Amino acid sequence: MDDFQSGEETAFVVDEVTNIIKEAVEGAIGGNAYQHNKVNQWTSSVVEQCLNQLTKLGKPFKYIVTCVIMQKNGAGLHTASSCYWDNSTDGQ
Amino acid sequence: MSQADHDRARDKAARLLKKQGSVSSLASSEARHGDKHHRLETTSTVSYMDEPGHEYHFKPPARYENTYQTEPNRRFPYSVVKNIMQDALDGYLAEEKYEPELCRQMSKTLSEVIKARVKELMIPRYKIICLVHIGQLGDQGMRIGSRCLWDQNNDTYASSEFRNKSLYAVASVYGVYYE
Repeated sequence: MDDFQSGEETAFVVDEVTNIIKEAVEGAIGGNAYQHNKVNQWTSSVVEQCLNQLTKLGKPFKYIVTCVIMQKNGAGLHTASSCYWDNSTDGQ
Repeated sequence: MSQADHDRARDKAARLLKKQGSVSSLASSEARHGDKHHRLETTSTVSYMDEPGHEYHFKPPARYENTYQTEPNRRFPYSVVKNIMQDALDGYLAEEKYEPELCRQMSKTLSEVIKARVKELMIPRYKIICLVHIGQLGDQGMRIGSRCLWDQNNDTYASSEFRNKSLYAVASVYGVYYE
């Protein structure tokens, strides 16, 4: 798509998005302990809240929001991602 | 050959050429010996000096007309991608036991491998995002969720799980159509 917009308004600003995510997690889970029957709802509301705020930014992006909630019992978890995209416009 | 190697080779060729020019009148055996040695080295690279503008990879930037194409010619091949992921997870993790360092490295490797294999499918106009989670099996609960804001018709994702006695892995690949 040729769009002739550029600059700050349409760029992916990592800090801005990081804040949105932090707030969403804080808002959904906050100080709660792991509750099996709540986790489903928490994951949904985190991704939902993130996406809501992201759309409000009104930027020309597609978004993928993932959320992992794991109970703390000392077990390890590793996450990695790799992307094939345009580094000049896309971000994570 | 990378660009840096290329430049280095060219500089070297230029230097050697100058050297050869300066020894011309001195016909001692030593000089000739050195001369010969240099000539051997330069034979393959000197050609760059003659016509530096005529390298084979030089092309004027091409300009294309708009295609006005709004839909992919080929959709993201969900099942092929899913097989790729399953193969990669099975192949890399079947015999592994959970170890923090190994799994840290493995998660990176797997995501790179899966991305590379999906990329090899050469699906035009699709961006690929590949996520891999590897975790230790304990008594813990866990939930992975994701939600996307995108075009339902063209964008898609595939995900695949794996588990053995001591670890589990979840891989997901998102294919996003570049509009």
